[in-house]
Parts: sequence; C-alpha cells; structure tokens
Amino acid sequence: MKTKLLTLIIAFGLTAAVSAETIHTTVNGMVCAFCATGIEKTFRKQPEVQSVKVDLPSKQVTITTKPGKTLSDAKIKEVVTYSGYTMGRIVREK
Amino acid sequence: MVAEAKPLSYVDGTMVMQENDETGHTISLDYTFTPTEAFGLYIKQEENGKEIFMLTPEINTLLKRWNLPDGQGNIFNMSGAGIATYRGNNQPSLWTAFLADYESRRWFLSYEPRFVWDGNIEKSVWQRARIGMAPLLANYNDLNTWIMFQVDHHPAKHDHFVATPLIRFFYKTYLFEVGYSSNQHIMVNWQVQF
Repeated sequence: MKTKLLTLIIAFGLTAAVSAETIHTTVNGMVCAFCATGIEKTFRKQPEVQSVKVDLPSKQVTITTKPGKTLSDAKIKEVVTYSGYTMGRIVREK
Repeated sequence: MVAEAKPLSYVDGTMVMQENDETGHTISLDYTFTPTEAFGLYIKQEENGKEIFMLTPEINTLLKRWNLPDGQGNIFNMSGAGIATYRGNNQPSLWTAFLADYESRRWFLSYEPRFVWDGNIEKSVWQRARIGMAPLLANYNDLNTWIMFQVDHHPAKHDHFVATPLIRFFYKTYLFEVGYSSNQHIMVNWQVQF
C-alpha cells in the first residue's frame, strides 16, 4: 500500500514538473494592434515561451510556457517594460 | 517626420512608411534598436510651394510615455540632418518635430509641430493636429477602422490651412489611410512593420 502511494506521489510530481504553465497578465497602455504585436513578439523571443495570445478588450496577454518551464513575475515584468508598457496583475494556472 | 502613426515600432522591428498628401510625397525606413529609439532614412519631395527634395538620416526618440489602464500617451521627438535640393541648389537640411499623442481603443488625439531649416532655400514651421474615433472596438486579429480629421498649418505653402477628413484602417502591423483635403488633394498613407 505504501509503495503504491509513493508511486502515485512520484508520478504526480513528475507530471506536474513537465506540464506547461499558463500565465495571464494585464498590460496597461496596450490599446492597439501595433502595441500588442510588440509585446507578443518580445514574449515569443523568450526560450521558455510556447505560445502567446493577446486580447485587447481585456488588455490581457496569455502566455503558455514550454513543458517543464516557467516565467517568473520579475521576468514577465521585464519583458512588458522592455516592450514599453506597464504590467498589471498576474494570474497563473497549471 | 511622417508621424501619423507612432514613429517607433518594437525592438528589432523595421518600419516602412509612405505618405502622399497635399504637402508632397514622403517615404521613410526606420529600425527600432532600443525601446525608445529608432534610426532610419527620410526622403521627401515637397509640393504645394517650393518643390524641395529632402534626404536625411533620422532618429526618432520616445521622450515620455504614460501607460494608463485604458489609454496611452506619448511624446516623441523626430530629428534629421542631411541635404535639401531645389532647382539645382543643394543645401544642408536640418529638421526636428515633436509628436504628442493620446490613444485609447476609441479615441485618438495628436499634435505635431515641425521646424525645418533647408539652408538658403527655406525655413519653415509646420503644425499638424488630428482627432480620430473608432466606431467599432476591434480586437487584435480584427481589421481596425478609424474615422479621423486632420488640420495642417504650414505658412510656407500656398495653402496655409488645410483640413483633411480621412479613414484609417489597420490590421496587426499594416496601416492604410485614405483622405481628401480641403485644397482638393487625395491623401494616401501606408505603414508596414516587420
């Protein structure tokens, strides 16, 4: 019983370690497609990033990382600031 | 100096802009090398006055940006130094312009004063203001449409005040504008970023 439980915990841990992360961040100042393109392209250059989606009405950028990778809040802020904008709230989901 | 749209793109982005209106024909090519600076080449053939040809390298700088929850305000400087030619007379050319704009998803406002010195050919001060409204709030992957109104004041030209109603379309990094001025010229502007 103990062995089965341990196996389950390890399996769950491994799955979590290799799963991708979805991060939502709001961006102040992102009001047009030109702005959004700059942000999208800068995020796509990050080696941890798998895909980027922009939603202008909610001013939200959704970043999906590569399996097993993550982007820290500091890194997200750096990318948004480097693109010329100001980062808002960050929400993460696995 | 072609500043109907922002004179900077994103870092490592290249921007080609062309403007054809009652002041002449302009083309510029710019490369954005930092979040606040772009460097490029500016060429203009002027009309509606002295038909001056200008060729200058230019530098565009974002001086200040305000990122607001529902909008964005900017102050840019665009400056160039090169040559101006008029009827075989080649002169040094210096120009600088400031662009202040505010943009939300619904509204657009801009004001741009320009100062041009073409040696002994001409010295001039221009002003341009624009107001625009987007009737539909488009998303990132949609075609954006704006109705705009532009007023130019250029004392060195034959027509000192010119008003131009226009329509702006843009899709992602492609911008196209068409209008018709009060002195009966068709305006056609476009911009591509890549």
